[in-house]
Amino acid sequence: MNHPESLESAKHPRAGQVLSGAEIIVQVLADEGVEVIFGYSGGAILPTYDAIFVHNRDSAQPSMPLVVPANEQGAGFMAAGYARASGKVGVCVVTSGPGATNTVTPVRDCLADSVPIVVICGQVPTAAIGTDAFQEAPVTAIMGSVAKHVFLVTDPTLLEATVRTAFEIARTGRPGPVVIDVPKDVQNWKGPYQGQGALPIPGYRRRLALVDKSTLSDASAAEFYSLLSTAQRPLIYAGGGAINGEASVELTHFAQHLRIPVVTTLMGIGAFDTTEPLSMRMLGMHGAAFANYAVDDCDFLIVLGARFDDRVAGVPARFAPNARVIAHFEVDVSEINKVKKVGFHHIGPLRQTLSALLHYAKTSNFSVDWSAWHAHCAQLRSVHAFNYDRDSELIQPYYVIEEINKHAKGEAIIATGVGQHQMWAAQYFDFKGPRQWLTSGSMGTMGFGLPAAIGAQFAHPSRVVIDIDGDASIRMNLGELETVTTYDLPVKVVVLNNCGDGMVKQWQKLFFKGRLSASDKSLHKKDFVRAALADGYGFAKRLDKKADVPAVIKEFMEFKGPAFLEVMIDTDAGVYPMVGPGQSYEEMITGDHIVSRKTDHDVTPPDTAEMF
Amino acid sequence: MRHIIAVQLQNEAGALTRLAGLFASRGYNIESLSVAATNDPTLSRLTLVTTGDESAITQLLAQIQKLIDVVMVTDLTDGQHIERELLIIRLKVSPNGLESLQQLTQEHGARVLAQEPDNFVIELTQSEADVNLFIAAVSRYGVIREVVRSGALALATTGMADG
Repeated sequence: MNHPESLESAKHPRAGQVLSGAEIIVQVLADEGVEVIFGYSGGAILPTYDAIFVHNRDSAQPSMPLVVPANEQGAGFMAAGYARASGKVGVCVVTSGPGATNTVTPVRDCLADSVPIVVICGQVPTAAIGTDAFQEAPVTAIMGSVAKHVFLVTDPTLLEATVRTAFEIARTGRPGPVVIDVPKDVQNWKGPYQGQGALPIPGYRRRLALVDKSTLSDASAAEFYSLLSTAQRPLIYAGGGAINGEASVELTHFAQHLRIPVVTTLMGIGAFDTTEPLSMRMLGMHGAAFANYAVDDCDFLIVLGARFDDRVAGVPARFAPNARVIAHFEVDVSEINKVKKVGFHHIGPLRQTLSALLHYAKTSNFSVDWSAWHAHCAQLRSVHAFNYDRDSELIQPYYVIEEINKHAKGEAIIATGVGQHQMWAAQYFDFKGPRQWLTSGSMGTMGFGLPAAIGAQFAHPSRVVIDIDGDASIRMNLGELETVTTYDLPVKVVVLNNCGDGMVKQWQKLFFKGRLSASDKSLHKKDFVRAALADGYGFAKRLDKKADVPAVIKEFMEFKGPAFLEVMIDTDAGVYPMVGPGQSYEEMITGDHIVSRKTDHDVTPPDTAEMF
Repeated sequence: MRHIIAVQLQNEAGALTRLAGLFASRGYNIESLSVAATNDPTLSRLTLVTTGDESAITQLLAQIQKLIDVVMVTDLTDGQHIERELLIIRLKVSPNGLESLQQLTQEHGARVLAQEPDNFVIELTQSEADVNLFIAAVSRYGVIREVVRSGALALATTGMADG
């Protein structure tokens, strides 16, 4: 390392060259391996857009195509979709004022779901900050409470290190969004490129190093297995941390070696192959009935990168009521005992932790016969399986997803909006691996699906990417329908049209005596197919006859290029099971077609004051 | 329970806003907050007083540590620590109260900064509790016109633990 030659060879080829601030930004992006930039130009970011143009024209390094959305929110979600599908940092570059504020929603969405993106915002010139200048917004103040971190670059000599540090912060620890606010004069400043160097963030790096090197000791592993050895019904509850921590393979080995069934959260979908016999699919408010019953029945819960969110543990005290031990493995210390007190925990990178656990199990020949529990889980799976009215003359959304799934085979990347269609997709699609399921879990942002699918397609140009959307969700970012054809992406867009905000209607029917306040869109005039045709889709069809479903879906799935499919579904279709807000899994409503364990179906309506 | 928390923060744009914002967005109250430069020009030192039960404070400390520009956080409450607050108070005093007030000031180790009956200004450095007692005591001899307090400042007696 200390050899002069190796130092020389490590020197950046442009080190010492005088570059503009804008060129410095672009050079750091190139150094970070950025493959694509999502963004919208404007006054305060013009120098950087010009530098990207020049880089893509002249540089020997790979070019970074600029993907332009209809709205900056779209750019933010494209960067997020790219990041979620690839595990790499997504990049979004926007102008000041409205450009920056339009990315607030994706930034908060990324923080809430731990997704690494870097947003670079133009800002009015340093001297104009605070004067209510044209297109000025207080970005550090606004973003400070929704981003993992925000930088305002006032000293241009620190610009290069700031951009590099932003990537470091975005991708390390619990990943998240980092915003860099760059005044226009800083972009126009000229100075030498260093080719190295980061900002001092001593507290963050020290805490990160503590977590990173926190390996599970043999003593801790021994304690864990001594607790586990007394368990008769162990269950793994894996969350988004298993995916963000790239721990899917280790989770799979661990679960398969010990033969422990796995439920995942909405964010954890794909961390464990849903087609595996040990998979008990998703738990929670709209989780599988068999998953929720398994949580109720387990006596030992192993929590991997999950956080007892209110959609999972609506009533923390009654969550996993029979679990004598809850063992929590996390990377973020603030999640320990935040919602639910646990008996055992370990802070550290999940991948290493699971490897250490597996290693200990193997070397200590840990083995317990849990066959009775396996049989119980198998029975739960078959008795309380997902089901719906298969004889209905109306097109059932579940049927549509089952048909698409026959073609996708658990290998497609599925993005969604938010609402009923999101839950149906989570319930009825197969997912063989991580980073195939892109959904706005914590924030629940309608309009997420289409731009996220676009971003994912840039991350994986040759994979099948499907946006499963709702008629209301897709309206939120409908402008991005055109972005798909502009870049000729083979994104497949499915709109499950139930003429309104289906999830809102479902709650209104259950808890507000059926008063459909502002949620019914059956009188709306939108012709989605004509909209798609107008945007240049080579395939744009409406499916409104059940008999046509298999053939049209086959045609849709086989179409090469941008494809749009609107499906007129049963407007009364509901999402079941449903654990009402403030209720326990035991009180889960399973609907007419999924078998409940509860004999009396009296549902106590939740207290409306506690409902959200 | 009352907690006194020391934070070392990098001097960056918006750092203080982020810390204060964390209290607001997660529903904690700040009873007092004092911020000032340290011997290291890149760092500020904050002293925060807040209340909460043990689990709420544990969660708060963990959340503060997630802020990128926080270098160190220490809950000084449990350990031995020195706590001081600066008070400057202006009173209007009747002439016959002047002597008693001067005596009280001496007893508390406070200093008189101005002593006209219409503008009687006292400075006191003591614990928050003693400052409260002093304010109550002086109010018996004059009419309080203005009170300015620094908020608590604190230092662990054995050196700041790693946070």
